[in-house]
Amino acid sequence: MGASTEHISKQFEADLGSTRTSVLQMGGLVEAQILAAIDAFGGGDAALVTQVIDNERRVNGYEVAIDGACNHIVVKRQPAASDLRLIMGISKIVTDLERIGDEAEKIARMARAIHEHGGHHAQRFPGVRHAAQIAVRMLREGLDAFARLDAVAAAEVLKEDSAIDQEFTSVLRQLITYMMEDPRTITPALEIVWVAKAVERIGDHAKNLAEQVIYIVKGTDVRHTAFADVERELARE
Amino acid sequence: MNATNASIARDRPTIHTAVRRADPQAPGAADFKPKFRIRALNFYYGGFHALKNITMEIPERKVTAFIGPSGCGKSTLLRTFNRMYSLYPDQRAEGEIVLDGEDLVTTRRDVSLIRARIGMVFQKPTPFPMSIYENIAFGVRLFEDLSRRDMDERVESVLARAALWDEVKDKLQQSGQSLSGGQQQRLCIARCIAVQPDVLLLDEPCSALDPISTARVEELIAELKSDYTVVIVTHNMQQAARVSDYTAYMYLGELIEFGRTDEVFIKPKKMQTEDYITGRFG
Amino acid sequence: MSAVPHPAGTAGVVHAGNRLYRSRKRVNFMLLGISGLALAFGLFWLVWILGTLLYEGGTALARASLYYQMTPPPGSDGGLANAIVGSLLMVGAGTLLGTPVGILAGTYLAEYGRSGWLASATRFLNDVLLSAPSIVIGLFVYSVFVARVGHFSAWAGSLALALIVIPVIVRTTDDMLKLVPNSLREAAMALGAPVWKMITLVTYRAARTGIVTGILLAVARISGETAPLLFTALNNQFWSTNMDAPMSNLPVVIFQFAMSPYQDWHRLAWGGAALITIAVLVLNIFARALFRKTD
Repeated sequence: MGASTEHISKQFEADLGSTRTSVLQMGGLVEAQILAAIDAFGGGDAALVTQVIDNERRVNGYEVAIDGACNHIVVKRQPAASDLRLIMGISKIVTDLERIGDEAEKIARMARAIHEHGGHHAQRFPGVRHAAQIAVRMLREGLDAFARLDAVAAAEVLKEDSAIDQEFTSVLRQLITYMMEDPRTITPALEIVWVAKAVERIGDHAKNLAEQVIYIVKGTDVRHTAFADVERELARE
Repeated sequence: MNATNASIARDRPTIHTAVRRADPQAPGAADFKPKFRIRALNFYYGGFHALKNITMEIPERKVTAFIGPSGCGKSTLLRTFNRMYSLYPDQRAEGEIVLDGEDLVTTRRDVSLIRARIGMVFQKPTPFPMSIYENIAFGVRLFEDLSRRDMDERVESVLARAALWDEVKDKLQQSGQSLSGGQQQRLCIARCIAVQPDVLLLDEPCSALDPISTARVEELIAELKSDYTVVIVTHNMQQAARVSDYTAYMYLGELIEFGRTDEVFIKPKKMQTEDYITGRFG
Repeated sequence: MSAVPHPAGTAGVVHAGNRLYRSRKRVNFMLLGISGLALAFGLFWLVWILGTLLYEGGTALARASLYYQMTPPPGSDGGLANAIVGSLLMVGAGTLLGTPVGILAGTYLAEYGRSGWLASATRFLNDVLLSAPSIVIGLFVYSVFVARVGHFSAWAGSLALALIVIPVIVRTTDDMLKLVPNSLREAAMALGAPVWKMITLVTYRAARTGIVTGILLAVARISGETAPLLFTALNNQFWSTNMDAPMSNLPVVIFQFAMSPYQDWHRLAWGGAALITIAVLVLNIFARALFRKTD
């Protein structure tokens, strides 16, 4: 997919290009948000938390701007085929990125709450950080796949979601044990549960993003489909 | 898709079932009955090879659109369906166009009998220089001998079908050429359906009309397709997307792609089609 | 003045004092003046002719006896009744003979003979006949018809007039039918009409004003033809509606009376000339009004 030639309309070409660039910029910002939030979770740096909360506004601004750009393109160009799929896909990707941004902000807030009770609790659960790293990797690879319009790379991202789910389940079990051993730790432990849940949700959104990339490239809607079938479908063409 | 497979798939639907359940009318599905079967059709204007080896099928009671850049042969192809080229000695066709079992290219039957079953509407509205009533009666009188009352009924029913009755019922004796462009075109459509054809061929019927008249004609096409096989040539891609069930993309006399309109406009199979539809042409 | 185009007004080039503009205006005025003078010159002669006709023939036209008395011998009172009737009969007969032939031939050229040698040859011959001198037609009918039969007759006159009418009507029918857009023909054929129905019911109706105008112009043309009638219908002093015998007609009567030395005959000749002119004028105006009405 992807054009061998450019659109006859240079303006159209430019509009599409700038919209794609904005999506990648938004993705980069969101990625940085996650990393900062997880750092704050681990280290308790209050300045980092403030920074993440402030940047959330920028993430929302991107969502509004990109959706506006998509509307503009639909009105002006009545896009078809690959252009249509690109615009529809971008619209959904941006929603997922914005939600990831929300989750990162939540993680930052909870990180601040946890460290007010004493940050040592967070150190006991490296699984959370580990899950977050997988999630960030999923997001980065998804955005790469979007930039290169590579459906195979996007499909790889789908595989990793189960790793996060497993990590989440294991952290949950550890936390339950932790809480049972010492009821005074329940409050901070629950906060950590929410953080882990937020990370798990980030992984889901990154998976959605990858699914949209596959739709944009191949025209096949692979949402709610088993991975084996996705592979088969991609191999078919 | 038998019942066991369906029940297994219900829990974990695959892409294939999702596609088939959403789209029971893909070409090759039971719903697609070919009205026209065209095989290896070649067409010449004198020495110029205008249509190159066209092979396709036009489905019955659906709207099929022909799209493509200027000079691609879509109007030429449309006009072979009712042997309009027979009027001009230097135009000839080779190959097969089979309509209900009869090959139109080599048939020995009188061409006017074929044309009576196939209606055609042209780009520029062509009302005859007669009253509105006479315009419609003209075609009917060619093959039917109706009493005055039956003819009145026929005229009224086709004008109603063409969404024109209310506008002209008080001025049926006025010249057909006194109507506005959009009304004239609807009159031409009414004239076509008055002779009860099976097929309607529309050659850019809305090119000369304003947007509101265009919308009315498109609405009419949507209503007519339940009874007639409609083939429409249009250079307006959005119109093709709105109005048709199947789309054929042509370029320089060749058929590049043919498929369900949704597929052609969302996920075309050929790069050439994609380039044309997205405006990457050239 | 720079070579790079400026938006109007910014370089101050477009104004009334501009040299090129002024010389253009001068040339415009000169040419307008010259064509105006030419128009006046042409109109002057036309007005003079009409004025002279009406002045000289006016008195004769005003007398009612012009219309019911026969052509008189010199010295006695009379009118042009037999000549008027004779002209009407022969013009009528000539038109009736020539029109169907003309229309059908024109139809063939426009509808069936788009290409091919027969059509272009026919058109060429038709144009030749159109500009043939009418005296040649008259002589032809004399040698082929009058000489054979042995006497002059109104039928011969009508035949000569018909031969003049035919090329005119062929030409106008051909041209008018060619103006009918092809899409109209195709629309009729697409309904399943046979070719002859398409022609008669659709194409003729579409071109009917043009064709009728052509007929009217042909009639106007033959009303004033003298030379062919000289050798075919001759003239007749008395009242006669016998088509097989020489018949009186206005052009020949005018010719005869004008060449004579008698005053009263001169007056009658002027009256006849004015009558023909007014009739042709009225026909032309009518044809033009008819054509414009349905445009």
